[in-house]
Amino acid sequence: MKLIALKNNLKSGLDYLSRVISSNPNLPVLSNVLIKASDGEIKLLATNLETAITAKVPGKVTEDGGLSVPYGIFSGMINNLSTERISLESVKNNLEVKTDNYEANIQGLGEEEFPIFPKIRKENNFLEINSTVLNENLKKVVIAAEMSEIRPEISGVLLVAEIDQIKLVATNSFRLAEAIIKKPQFQNNFNQGVKAIIPLKTAEEITRIIKDDQSTKIYLDDSQILVETGDVEIISRLIEGTYPDYEAIIPKNIESQAVMNKGELINALKLASVFAAKGNDIRMKNKDAKYVEIYSGSSNLGENNYSIPAEIAGEFRIGFNWRFLLDGVRAASGERVIIKLSGQGKPAIIGSPEDKQYSYILAPLKGGE
Amino acid sequence: MEREELWKSVLSELEIQISRPNFLTWLKSSRLTDIKDDIAVVSLPNYFTKEWVENKYNKLIISTLKGINYSIKRVDYVVESAPKPVSFPKEQETKVLEKQLLLQETKIDPETNLNPKYTLDSFVVGSFNELAFSAAEAVIKNIGTKYNPLFIYGGVGLGKTHLIQGIGNEIKSLYKNKVKIKYVTSEKFTNEVIWAIRNRRIEDVKSVYRSVDVLLIDDIQFIGGKEKTEEEFFYTFNSLYENNKQIIISSDRPPKSLPVLEERLRSRFEGGMIADITYPEYEARVAIIKTKIQEKELELEQKIIELIAKRAQRNIREIEGILNKIIFYQSTKEKVLSTEELGKIVAEMTDRGAINISPNQVIKSVADFFEILPNDLTGRSRSKELVEPRQIAIFLLRDMLDMSFPYIASKVGKRDHSTAIYAYKKINNDLTKNPNLHQKVMMIKELVNKAE
Repeated sequence: MKLIALKNNLKSGLDYLSRVISSNPNLPVLSNVLIKASDGEIKLLATNLETAITAKVPGKVTEDGGLSVPYGIFSGMINNLSTERISLESVKNNLEVKTDNYEANIQGLGEEEFPIFPKIRKENNFLEINSTVLNENLKKVVIAAEMSEIRPEISGVLLVAEIDQIKLVATNSFRLAEAIIKKPQFQNNFNQGVKAIIPLKTAEEITRIIKDDQSTKIYLDDSQILVETGDVEIISRLIEGTYPDYEAIIPKNIESQAVMNKGELINALKLASVFAAKGNDIRMKNKDAKYVEIYSGSSNLGENNYSIPAEIAGEFRIGFNWRFLLDGVRAASGERVIIKLSGQGKPAIIGSPEDKQYSYILAPLKGGE
Repeated sequence: MEREELWKSVLSELEIQISRPNFLTWLKSSRLTDIKDDIAVVSLPNYFTKEWVENKYNKLIISTLKGINYSIKRVDYVVESAPKPVSFPKEQETKVLEKQLLLQETKIDPETNLNPKYTLDSFVVGSFNELAFSAAEAVIKNIGTKYNPLFIYGGVGLGKTHLIQGIGNEIKSLYKNKVKIKYVTSEKFTNEVIWAIRNRRIEDVKSVYRSVDVLLIDDIQFIGGKEKTEEEFFYTFNSLYENNKQIIISSDRPPKSLPVLEERLRSRFEGGMIADITYPEYEARVAIIKTKIQEKELELEQKIIELIAKRAQRNIREIEGILNKIIFYQSTKEKVLSTEELGKIVAEMTDRGAINISPNQVIKSVADFFEILPNDLTGRSRSKELVEPRQIAIFLLRDMLDMSFPYIASKVGKRDHSTAIYAYKKINNDLTKNPNLHQKVMMIKELVNKAE
């Protein structure tokens, strides 16, 4: 293997891989990055046997081949080099790094020692979506998820790819977020709907890696997902199991609601959080027809009350964990936030009054009314 | 178990030939799942392992296998996750979140759809539900053979869902993973059929429901009139029934009174065991309240318990509501409520609903139900077709609106108040003896409440 590439290109390629590099005492090669040159293309590859990422790096290949080197050493070196052009060459199992004024020799492992990436059947179940749209929606949903050893099926994002719409759903059993993407914001070749649970880590990795305004392609088969965006490919297993019947969670009967200014509500929540005790609880109720009062207090700190103007319908009283509420309020798009209540002890829907495609469902606190 | 032995010896040979880290990473969790003629099927935990083993160790594995069983010529590799351990959802994980309520539905086991909170242990048995409960017990012991299908019906909030989910949970814990259970409300079933039709995955629905050993369907009455769902259900029902799989159905009325259900379905429901749950008698209500109090760790005076049992006569869910309200008041006011305050709460909760109903609405609903004119009901005729409706109307006016007998009598055609008293007593007595009448009264009540 022999190639020349620019420092910044190598650096950004390596950055994509950073999160899947792991140290596995049984398999030290997993802390390596595989540098592969073939057909005039340079690729950097890394995997933790659950997720695998491939990043293409522009450069000039003079000799095909591949070699894996420890990620930490290689990226540390690339980051600190001052010259632009870097030449890489494999000599047996060593990587020779050369620039105008620098030479190094890294011990590596042959390509045959590196795990072989699984393949995915590409012909079926393919969808193409603008990366900005995907990223925005995925980020809004991921906030509601949480890793759980006991319940692997909810430690991920549910992707319901239907013929004419895509739904993204995540929950940690206290809250649930759902985002809907409708055609023509995406294209697909589905002849039937698909449901898949993407592991939370993979979902977070996708939001981190995809850049704005590119096109992102997603391929699904029974147990794997492949995401292609720009120069990067992420392949990951899917979580097996059945997702809870989340549609039953979304309240259908709205008893009361309040519409507030989003900035003001965020501010009020932050203020109220000062006095909220370790239970993080705050209370909201309608003071009169025009104001919602946000109250928090604890016996050893004191208490406070914040009134914000609101459009209220029905009797509005509820208690929330302010951290959970704030996540949902922040995720709502637009200037205003609507909170809909479905009855005592029942979950509330938080969202934007204009945007029907996103909803954040949050269970209240016990006896918080 | 021969396969396991065979694979064990293959693995122990392989272990010597490849390095230990490689063995641990790639082969440790492999299994030999099948041998078909000259092909052996090896399952591996993920695709990385599959690619690796296929590319690097295939030759080695084949030659080792041949050494032991020389008929094998080829090895196929599949990815299969190991059988999951049975894990019941743990109680809330963190202490800090002790006040945070759960989104209830997420506690439900997604495989079976059963909510672990419904158990048969917490199900109070009285004479009102004895039949249904014994039928349930028999079904648990003899799945699919004794009473199939088991059809349980009864009014709103009397514990149908509790009973059938309890059966599901009991079977699950008794037979562990050997019996595949699925609980579904007919509404959810309909939604799944709709999703499947829209996304061309109807085969999935078929395969999911036809592979179960016990199918529990709740509130079957809502399936009526939805042709495609009914059809899908019908085929599922037949395929399960023919294979001796247990089917348990709940409904708010007996099969013969299900209005828009297709005849072929109705006759099938009637072919099994039909058990009803009627209204709990006073003693049963007290027992129910006491169990619920224990569950909720609440303390109530005997007097209050008796009061609740007296007031909430026809709906156990109402009892639950009253108790929740009491807990709510106690936790917000942070003090123990006095007997008077508790009495007020109970009165408030049980009086609700009667406020907006007018006598004319009741009369109209009764007339609509029997397909007669309201004027006939209040008229002078004493023909047999009109007597029963009239008596029911009188009963309901008294029962739901608590009107005085003289006023009721004048409402239904200027009759004597003793006529009204007689009619009320008659219906009230017959109600417990005659399930048919009971059914009618319940449906009329629903009509009245809907008419608002």
